Amino acid sequence: MPELDPLEAQIGAWMQQFAALDDRKHGFPDPSALWVKAKLLQTQAAMDRATRPITRVQIAAYVIVAAGWAALLTWKWSALSAWLNSFTPSRIILDAAGAQAATSLSMTFFMALFALASVTVMLAFHTILAEE
Amino acid sequence: MTADGLILQSPFALHRTATFQRTPKRPMDEAKFEAFYRKTAGRIWSYIFRMTGNAATADDLLQKTFFRFLRSNPAIVHDDHLRHYIFKTATNLVFDHFRETKRHREAMVDTPAIAESRAGRDELRHDMMRAFAELKPQERALLWLAHVEGSSHEEIADAIGVKEKSVKVMLFRARKRLAAILTRRGLAPEVRHA
Repeated sequence: MPELDPLEAQIGAWMQQFAALDDRKHGFPDPSALWVKAKLLQTQAAMDRATRPITRVQIAAYVIVAAGWAALLTWKWSALSAWLNSFTPSRIILDAAGAQAATSLSMTFFMALFALASVTVMLAFHTILAEE
Repeated sequence: MTADGLILQSPFALHRTATFQRTPKRPMDEAKFEAFYRKTAGRIWSYIFRMTGNAATADDLLQKTFFRFLRSNPAIVHDDHLRHYIFKTATNLVFDHFRETKRHREAMVDTPAIAESRAGRDELRHDMMRAFAELKPQERALLWLAHVEGSSHEEIADAIGVKEKSVKVMLFRARKRLAAILTRRGLAPEVRHA
């Protein structure tokens, strides 16, 4: 039998004595409760994993809609600002007097505007309903 | 004679195949977990308590250890494997706890458990806790796993995240440090030589 190092024996004996101290004053949590809680946490984690692609698609949709609005406004900004300015009282009077409008907005623009507005509303509803 | 016929079958061939065959893994069910928990919870709690010196922290980390253990969906290979795995998980959580508080040395000084025993009659317990608290967390883990849990150097290395070769030297240093602390505090036990 190999001879035990005195230091190892000394510390080993002390550690055994130290380990034998009973410090616990109350019982341990019920294993069934731990099991159920762990399973709930697992289910929650699985749900988070499952909904992660949906969340990503949702974020992508926000970005696309925002980019669509930015593109549309950039594309027709001059016409749009002129159209908005036409609602000033002086312009309304001029138009009523027979002056021609400076610019006109195309049908394509209004269709794009309608499409983007519809998508924005749908996205907003989806977000609100998903949260509920 | 075919080529197959020339191959000599070793008498140990069957035994070798059986030895190296992977033990089928069974997922842990509630009953198995309960049995495992009842067998190990006390030991894990003692380990965490001796490492942190705080009963409330030990309670908290014990639960976290078992949650993490269950989350990893452990397969039952054999009990020793699970025991080693859970001690490794507990060690990681204790080290994480020390990193989070960043005051592990100070935190050991006035813990509720120690304060209680100071006021109480168990002077020896108090002295032992104080002496052990003077060690670094890694030294405490090393000594506990080696001397109380009887873990191998390989298991200790895996649990505390060091190389297996380093464990022997680190253990030697930890023993020397604890011996010096015990001598200074007059707590060194008598060792009987054969």
